[in-house]
Amino acid sequence: MHDHSSTSGRFRRATTLIRSLVTYHPGLFAISMAGAMVFAVCTVGSSWLLRWIIDEVIIRRFDTNTFSISQTLTAVGLLIGLSLIRACGVIVRRSFAGRAQWRTAQSLTDEVVDVLVKQPPQWHRRQSTGELLTRAGVDVEASVAVMAPLPYASSVILMMAIAAVGLISTDTALGLAATAVFPALIGLNVLYQRRVDKWFDIAQGELGLLSAAVHESFEGVTVVKAFGAENRETERLAIIASRVQNARVEAIRLRSLFEAALDFVPNVTNICLVVGGAFRVRSGDLSVGELASFIYMFTLLVFPLRLIGYALSEMPRSQAGFDRIQSLRRSPIFDDPRSLFTHGSSSLVLDSVSIGYDDTNILFRNVSISFSARSFTAIVGYTGSGKSTFVESLAGITPIFSGSVSTKDQLTSFVFQEPFLFGTSVRDNVCLGSNFSDEEVEWALRIAEADFVQGLPQGFDTIIGERGVGLSGGQRQRIALARAVIRRPSVLILDDTTSALDPNTEVKVLRNIKSGLPGSTVIAVASRPSLIGMADQIMFFDQGSIYGPTTHVELLIQNVSYRSLMQAYEEPQEFEDDSL
Amino acid sequence: MTTPRVAGTLETLSRGVHAVPSLRQGIGFTLLLAMIGASGRVVVPVVIQQAIDHGLQRSIRGSAQTVDVALVVKMCLGAAIYLVIASIAQRTAVSRLGQRSESALFDLRVKLFQHIHQLSLEDHNDEQRGSLVARVTSDVETLSQFFSWGGLAFLLNGALMIIVAGVMLVYDWSLALLVILISAPLVYVLRRVQARLIAAYDGSRLANADLLGNTAELVTGAETLHAYSAGAIFGVRVKKSSKIRGDKQTKATLIGALLFPSGEIFGAIAVSAVVFVGLWRGSSSGLTAGALVGFIFLTYRFLEPIAELTEVLDQTQTAVSGMRRILGILSIPAGPPPAEFPIEIGDQPLDIKMNNVTFFYRPRDGEVRDENSAVLSRINCVIQFGTQVAVVGETGSGKTTLGRLLSRFSDPTSGMISIGGVPLNRIDNEALREMLVVVPQEPFLFSDTIAANLRFVLPQASDQILIDAFTNVDLQDWFETLPLGLDMLVGQRGSQLSAGERQLVALVRASLINPSILILDEATSSVDASTEVRLTRALDKLSRGRTTISIAHRLSTAARADRVLVLDSGLLVQDGSHDELVGAPGVYSEMYKSWESSHNTSD
Ligand SMILES: Nc1ncnc2c1ncn2[C@@H]1O[C@H](COP(=O)(O)OP(=O)(O)O)[C@@H](O)[C@H]1O
Ligand SMILES: Nc1ncnc2c1ncn2[C@@H]1O[C@H](COP(=O)(O)OP(=O)(O)O)[C@@H](O)[C@H]1O
Ligand SMILES: [Mg+2]
Ligand SMILES: [Mg+2]
Repeated sequence: MHDHSSTSGRFRRATTLIRSLVTYHPGLFAISMAGAMVFAVCTVGSSWLLRWIIDEVIIRRFDTNTFSISQTLTAVGLLIGLSLIRACGVIVRRSFAGRAQWRTAQSLTDEVVDVLVKQPPQWHRRQSTGELLTRAGVDVEASVAVMAPLPYASSVILMMAIAAVGLISTDTALGLAATAVFPALIGLNVLYQRRVDKWFDIAQGELGLLSAAVHESFEGVTVVKAFGAENRETERLAIIASRVQNARVEAIRLRSLFEAALDFVPNVTNICLVVGGAFRVRSGDLSVGELASFIYMFTLLVFPLRLIGYALSEMPRSQAGFDRIQSLRRSPIFDDPRSLFTHGSSSLVLDSVSIGYDDTNILFRNVSISFSARSFTAIVGYTGSGKSTFVESLAGITPIFSGSVSTKDQLTSFVFQEPFLFGTSVRDNVCLGSNFSDEEVEWALRIAEADFVQGLPQGFDTIIGERGVGLSGGQRQRIALARAVIRRPSVLILDDTTSALDPNTEVKVLRNIKSGLPGSTVIAVASRPSLIGMADQIMFFDQGSIYGPTTHVELLIQNVSYRSLMQAYEEPQEFEDDSL
Repeated sequence: MTTPRVAGTLETLSRGVHAVPSLRQGIGFTLLLAMIGASGRVVVPVVIQQAIDHGLQRSIRGSAQTVDVALVVKMCLGAAIYLVIASIAQRTAVSRLGQRSESALFDLRVKLFQHIHQLSLEDHNDEQRGSLVARVTSDVETLSQFFSWGGLAFLLNGALMIIVAGVMLVYDWSLALLVILISAPLVYVLRRVQARLIAAYDGSRLANADLLGNTAELVTGAETLHAYSAGAIFGVRVKKSSKIRGDKQTKATLIGALLFPSGEIFGAIAVSAVVFVGLWRGSSSGLTAGALVGFIFLTYRFLEPIAELTEVLDQTQTAVSGMRRILGILSIPAGPPPAEFPIEIGDQPLDIKMNNVTFFYRPRDGEVRDENSAVLSRINCVIQFGTQVAVVGETGSGKTTLGRLLSRFSDPTSGMISIGGVPLNRIDNEALREMLVVVPQEPFLFSDTIAANLRFVLPQASDQILIDAFTNVDLQDWFETLPLGLDMLVGQRGSQLSAGERQLVALVRASLINPSILILDEATSSVDASTEVRLTRALDKLSRGRTTISIAHRLSTAARADRVLVLDSGLLVQDGSHDELVGAPGVYSEMYKSWESSHNTSD
């Protein structure tokens, strides 16, 4: 208790946590609290009832040695009646506390989901998948864990207050001594929380790291297997897991001490009360019966206090989880690059645009290009020359640094270089939740030459595995293509999305697109001469510069680098020959 | 009593203990300590009762009371000393149990890591990644929560109940029997409700896994969802599963809430019965008021643990269904099974032999396995060591699958593959991985530096070795363009690199091992032709005296190979050198024609 400011800071944090959690579903929580209060009143009531039974029924029975059936039945009836009311209180308390807890979890998850949906790709790329999943999973569960025991804890406090009054009114001196144990126990709790917090924070943090590392390790299971690294990976993860374990063990050490003290203090108090009571009885201030019921009332009330430990023990974990969700929620929402696109008359226009990832990594500066409607542009360049970055900027996936982009309408479809498929049906992967008719889906699959879909057991309603694992690379690419064309976009951007198709199919797909979407402007990153041959104009990316758009022949004549790249495509044999 | 489908709580727990034997270590001594600790809680009320009965002479109301303060103090002092001992014993028991269970859970986690890494790719594909992760994180957490609260409560309260029951019997055996008889049906009620509780908790854990799986898609597919403005729609789906999880959990807590007061009500009935019978018997049977009062409080003491146990029953059920899911994963056999009696290859040339190899993927829901669904059918072929082989065929013809079989990611459904005369399933896994490496089309990089990704395969490699590796495959030019060199962070799944650059890093990574057999599965599909030509030329040089199997996306690769295998719908339809095949009518010459025309830019 030396560090008072940190204790009160902790207390403030705890009340803030509880207040924020309760505000989600105050009604449910209030009902649960009402149940808890009924429970508290009945608990105290039953200890009074018991005292009455001892004093007025049992002692009288044995003193007078007469058995009164009516009195006995009253006693028994009251006992059972009160416990029924108490049981109802418990049912209300627990069921509504549970409901409040899980409805709050639902609200928290929804908030996390809202952030995940609102944040654009440039934010997502900086996050670790595993950590984000921890926010939505483990952290949400941890945050609300404190809610279930909260009404119970409040009812215990109410019970203590009533009991204190009762004990003091029976015998002021003994009563004061007995009630002193309540704040002592709470102080003990606070002390414990302060020491144990650190370890819970560490454990929760390490658990987040573990979760992220495990996610990555399972995600890379092919690499792990390919290099026989199963044991090494297990060892690496085991190190993180052992850090979780160590923090937990420290917490358990503290807890075992606390648990023992929590039992020891009231028991010792109890013993002291007997000794003190003996003196009070000798001096005639207290009758034996009064002492006995005093002590029994104390025991009955002090033990629920033990369970308050359950409530408070969740606090640090909840706090850590909630704080991390809050920081996710408070992180500024990045601008959606598309929201900065302006409206223009031409289909897609770049006006002195700079493209890149950060100030030190700007790939292109001051690019001004206008893509005219219905044109077909091929983009060619060396690996890492910025083709994907460029087309992603056109599609509003990667933000631009300066300049402006204008589009006629916002109807742009983009197909990623490595398509992502969801673990749902083929249809759902194509529609992505929008309403398209069966005919439209069939049409889109036909344009993408995805005839293999008919061979799947349930046609386009077949569920494909997570990330489309049950399909070959070319099959995945074609489903991703169908997804793009079904929207009949005015601008269709393809990032080398036909690389896994054989050249025949690739040419067919592009012909289909030209005839099926005659109004669309097509911009395609191309890695095969056939595609280059089909384009109206070529853009060539080389060492931070963009050449074109112009024609293939023009580039061949003017650009040495382009010429040598084309040679590599067209005459592979020659290279082999000069190596010999 | 329990639904037949799910294993009961006790069975699950005992299977759990079986899976993690370290949980049992030293449990006997811990139990003993817990008993001593729990007895402390009984000692106090008993001593108090005795002190009041003997030290403070009960008397007729109104008359004087004799008080033997010395006796009271003596008894209380004795109780206090015992209490200290009991507290120390309890503390030790709690701490031992906690440490033991944490270290057992650590063992369990490690076992799970190991096991999940050994599961076949098909099993990995069948399980959602998110829920596999949940197995080692949140499911193990439920156990940890249980052991630090619920398990402890069971231990201490179980001990307490036994001790109190014993004391009660000594006090007044007939009243004791009455209490026990009345409480017995409670066990039945608890078990009945518990069966429903188990089902409810299984449902909610399932809903939870669903929620995590959906969230995982929202996170991993974020770019795609953004590109198609479908984030909101998929967000609504996650919210739906979040609502379902909420519903299931609410239902489970409602059942729990109904369960809890049953202990309470039985307690009231038991106490009422004690009061009634005690009053009825009166002092004729030697009962005193003090003894009856004492007995009433012993009854409360006896039932108190039940309240505490029902308090942790929710947690117990959560832990049991967590344990069940963990056992479910552990019961999936490792795939392909590791060689039990590995055979050393010795000095044999590492020829690859495929004998009638047929392969089916695990059928999808509603799919029946017939001849046509074979992904590879009766492949027969021998590849001499040191040959450069190209495998070509349309997308979906089974090329990647062939690579997976050769590298033993799966075993053929029928037929056999051998290397150097030893069947693949008899080669030690580590030896196989040193001998043979596959570089896939979409390589996986860890979110770390380039150096760390390379050291993944060769942990002790010095920086110089890593840099040399780039030079060896003629990528020094590209390497020099990286501002941070080896220390460059590649981002999640390598996302800070371009797709082609990821493939380059993966190739360098594979070249570090210098395997005898290298399988390139369209490993340069996103690399520009000029870099690819330089790279493969360098690889060819390195691969003198090595078998390279290139699954080719450019027929130029096939043209350079010693031998070309042509796959068509899972059948090996042609096999020969490029020159032989181009001339002959068949799939290959068709492919080559279209390839040639596609490499003619004039449309
Ligand atoms: N998310 C990113 N953050 C920082 N740099 C990136 C990121 N993605 C790609 N880069 C870098 O930008 C350059 C261009 O990449 P990219 O546009 O993908 O090339 P490509 O022409 O092969 O498609 C590469 O050097 C790559 O390392
Ligand atoms: N994990 C899987 N489960 C079920 N079917 C699969 C799986 N992986 C691939 N397939 C199917 O097997 C066939 C061959 O696929 P693959 O070997 O990847 O072809 P390729 O590499 O020649 O393009 C395809 O029809 C594909 O749909
Ligand atoms: Mg790219
Ligand atoms: Mg393939």
